[in-house]
Amino acid sequence: MITQFACYDPRRWWADLVSVWQDTRLIVVTAQIAAIYAAILIPFKAGIPLIPGFVELRPANAIPIVASLLFGPAAAWGAGIGNIIGDCFGTLGPASVFGFLGNFLFGYLPYLMWGNLGWLSSGQPPLVQSWRQGMEYGLICVVASGVCAGIIGWGVELLGLLPFVVLAPAIFFNNIVMSLLLGPPLLMFLYPRVQRWHLRYEDIRSSFVAQDNLRPSGKPSSVEYELSPGIADARTHESLLDCKNLSFYYPNEQNPALQNLSFSISPGEMVMLLGRSGSGKSTFCYACNGLIPHMIAGELTGSLQVCGESTRVTPVWKRADRVGLVFQDFETQLVGTTMEAELLHPLEYRQPPLSFNDVKRRISSALSSVGLEPSLDRDPMTMSGGQRQRLVIASVLVQEPQLFILDEPSSDLDPVTRMQLRQTLRQLRDAGMALLMTEQDHDDLQLADRVILLDEGRIVWEGSPDALLRDPHTMRNRGIRPLALTECFEELVCESLPLTIDEAVACAEKMNLMISPPAAVLDDTIRLGELPSLRGSQPDPFVRFEDVYFQYADQPILRNINCFIYPGEFLALLGANGSGKSTCARLLNGLLAPVEGRILIDGLDTRTTSMNELVKRVGLVFQNPDHQIFADTVWEEVAFGAKNLGCSQEEIVVRVRESLAAVGLSVEESAGLDPFSLRKGERQRVAVASILATRPAMLIFDEPTTGLDAEETDRMMAMIRDLNRKGHTIVMITHSMRSVAEYAQRCLLMKDGQIVADGSPRDIFQDSALVRTASLEIPLLSQFSQRWGYTLLTVNEVKASLKPNVR
Amino acid sequence: MNVSLYLNHGTWVHRLDGRTKTLVVLGFFVLALCFSHPAYLLGILALVVGGLVAAQAGINVKKIWVLATLLVCYSMMLWPFFVEGETPVPVFDVFGVTWEGCVFGLGMGIRLLIMVWGGVWLLSTSTIEELAQASQQLGLPARGGFVFSLAFRWVGILMGAGIGVIQAQRSRGLDLSSGSIMERIRKYVPLVVPLIGHALRQTNLLAMALESKGFHPTAHRSVLKTGKMKSPDYAVLIFLNMLLGMSGWMWWHGIGTLTVRF
Repeated sequence: MITQFACYDPRRWWADLVSVWQDTRLIVVTAQIAAIYAAILIPFKAGIPLIPGFVELRPANAIPIVASLLFGPAAAWGAGIGNIIGDCFGTLGPASVFGFLGNFLFGYLPYLMWGNLGWLSSGQPPLVQSWRQGMEYGLICVVASGVCAGIIGWGVELLGLLPFVVLAPAIFFNNIVMSLLLGPPLLMFLYPRVQRWHLRYEDIRSSFVAQDNLRPSGKPSSVEYELSPGIADARTHESLLDCKNLSFYYPNEQNPALQNLSFSISPGEMVMLLGRSGSGKSTFCYACNGLIPHMIAGELTGSLQVCGESTRVTPVWKRADRVGLVFQDFETQLVGTTMEAELLHPLEYRQPPLSFNDVKRRISSALSSVGLEPSLDRDPMTMSGGQRQRLVIASVLVQEPQLFILDEPSSDLDPVTRMQLRQTLRQLRDAGMALLMTEQDHDDLQLADRVILLDEGRIVWEGSPDALLRDPHTMRNRGIRPLALTECFEELVCESLPLTIDEAVACAEKMNLMISPPAAVLDDTIRLGELPSLRGSQPDPFVRFEDVYFQYADQPILRNINCFIYPGEFLALLGANGSGKSTCARLLNGLLAPVEGRILIDGLDTRTTSMNELVKRVGLVFQNPDHQIFADTVWEEVAFGAKNLGCSQEEIVVRVRESLAAVGLSVEESAGLDPFSLRKGERQRVAVASILATRPAMLIFDEPTTGLDAEETDRMMAMIRDLNRKGHTIVMITHSMRSVAEYAQRCLLMKDGQIVADGSPRDIFQDSALVRTASLEIPLLSQFSQRWGYTLLTVNEVKASLKPNVR
Repeated sequence: MNVSLYLNHGTWVHRLDGRTKTLVVLGFFVLALCFSHPAYLLGILALVVGGLVAAQAGINVKKIWVLATLLVCYSMMLWPFFVEGETPVPVFDVFGVTWEGCVFGLGMGIRLLIMVWGGVWLLSTSTIEELAQASQQLGLPARGGFVFSLAFRWVGILMGAGIGVIQAQRSRGLDLSSGSIMERIRKYVPLVVPLIGHALRQTNLLAMALESKGFHPTAHRSVLKTGKMKSPDYAVLIFLNMLLGMSGWMWWHGIGTLTVRF
């Protein structure tokens, strides 16, 4: 059945063009399209020149038409601006004006034409699924490509730069070929997803954000959670944040994201919201600065007063000077290409405008708070992850907010950077700022004055950090990993569970206990269990690094790497950011080749072996699963690698079933799902399954647990251990010393592109000074056991080794 | 990934106000359009080269030398086939190539070089924010400049992500160099979809991040870094105006202009 479908209403063409500049989301979409267009323009080349060195077939030329049919006039502005950005790589000139105009129309005409071609229109959404849709799409491609080529060709000839007959046909050919070949599959993949994310132009334009959906709560307040003594008295009338019976439902969700939350925060207080993924931490942060309900639709009940004002009254951007928020993905908050631009940006919207001296004072004070050098011309992209995060914090601090909110600020940081962040936060608290921080782990707990534990949107515990840390049972029940030291003493009759090494030593001494590990600890049986005998007596190495040297643009990354990896090993690659771990991984599967030396995989030299041969032996699971997921269904995604290797249909079916089972995903339940709709932990599993389908003997995991909560991390690590026990050699790149201590058989410690230690985790952790030189810290458990001269790695090892002191 | 051509050298050219630099580049373009004779255009090219030397921007010229050389060569080689003249060039006269056409092609090649190097001069000496701010001060809408600088900032991130996507798909056996042209083009779908998907998943978050920092399309944006026009700015602008005035007068009188038929 044909339904009437037109992207565009001819009566509102001007309103459409202007509307893009009146909505923040449309402005973001415009900038994204411009950035995508320019970003794909440069690295993605089909290698087929039309005018050698000048015009060649580039997949980017399909973007304006596809974007136009999804995002309407935002695509027109985006394509025009994207083309100018492309020119900024070396061809900026008067012809850029014609480039802008041509690309603007290339990105606008498809939106204007689809559904408005009379009897030629299919009356269907902009997809190519029937011959009528195909005909409509083809016609639009011809017109849009022709207009774009004509305008640019005419303009360039007008300026006397190149003749029309040379340039215009080349541009037309490029546009039409890419639009016709790449456009339909791109639309097929993107249209349903953009529709689901409510990002089509029509959806954004007509989106209704409920401004008045805060209804007076008819439900009585019910404090169902445990309140540790003294907390209720501590609440004052001078609270900066005060919420009462706050509940929130996302649209079309049955379960509330927040349920009857009631608590307050005073100036100079640091409160930590703790909870597993999905417990409502981020939702509460969004509510605090008014993103809920002003930008995130849903049903909000109860009251939330921040800085003496209800969050539903003042829009988000007008509260920015009082409430500062650092997102979990802090990179999204970087908007400038220099440090100065980054710091000035939030101040540019202040009314009345700030004086020059005030701006200068605020910038200098914010930079000194976060300990950043005032190199104002520096590009944030040249800074380390930790420095960038501090810059984002500084860009919030320049506004001098009264309440500062940080959503999981340390999830992606290495131990040294975490330490710097803690110091910064302590200083801010001491300076009288109120801080609200969320975490899904206990690492930074002791920083807080008060902890609020959330589960399924409810407050289930509130009290001091010490009280929570000394209650491992509550933590475990709510999906938080308890402190390893307290777990060791949990089953012993102990007055108070220890939180620090000194307390643990004192506790042990008081109970007349000492560390005396049995043989089962020292031979790793307790830690790793019975290992299958895969290595034989004299195994040949599966991987050989021989004098490997690698550099990027004259910058040495790896120097003189020599090591073997044996079949069936579980190897952890440790080191600070930039130490060369990820480069090693890319050298192993042939994405990079050594500048000097060689790497042999199963006897094959990676420099001379094809990528497809290496892929059958070494699978690399990237940190971000979203970098590889593209298919419509989980089944198609997992089958992709096997298809590329030329497997038969029957073989593919077998491999996909086997791979999904190996990562713990049910074929029946998950095969038909859109992988984009899964949670991050599940997407990571799909990514692993898709690598497993190529049946590699060795699997490399690059930071497999980043961003996962304790339960997801345990599930991921258990899966990796199972794969190892089934015979896969595992190489894991990680910062998590706990995962290394618990699962790895062998470690390589890297520093400045060199291997500085090679041995079992126990051997490596024995030398805590050496580990510290690589910007890492050995686990507290190991530090504790070292008081008795042993290096123990897990809670079970310590429990098995705690014996009565008979001396 | 850093994609900007900006060089943080702190020369006197870098210290000029953004408006001055923008007007100078527009001036270069107008000057290049005033003449078509290679000798006059060479004079303007010398001025641009002087600007590049003063800005210590040689590294950026080196970066794009292949592209610039090809563009100039195309212009010089192609125009003679489309321009009529009176003095045929031996051997090529069967294609209608004349000396007048060759001279015109040479002039257009130099004009192209002036424009390309002029753009490089501006981008080497100004940050993207400086350009956006200058355009706002020169009367263009602030929101346009903001979107431009925002998009520019994301290009580097997306290009980095693009490299990650290429590596992830190659690690699953995607071979971009094999197959027919059609097959090769189709193989870009697994590269482009994750990249666009990755960007679009962040749309709402990015919009929220902007408003959390005080941005709103209706909010007035103040120019806080008001670089005051100083004496060097005035000196440069006076010199430019004189040059433009003189070139305008020469153009009016047909000096430095080749009369050609197409």
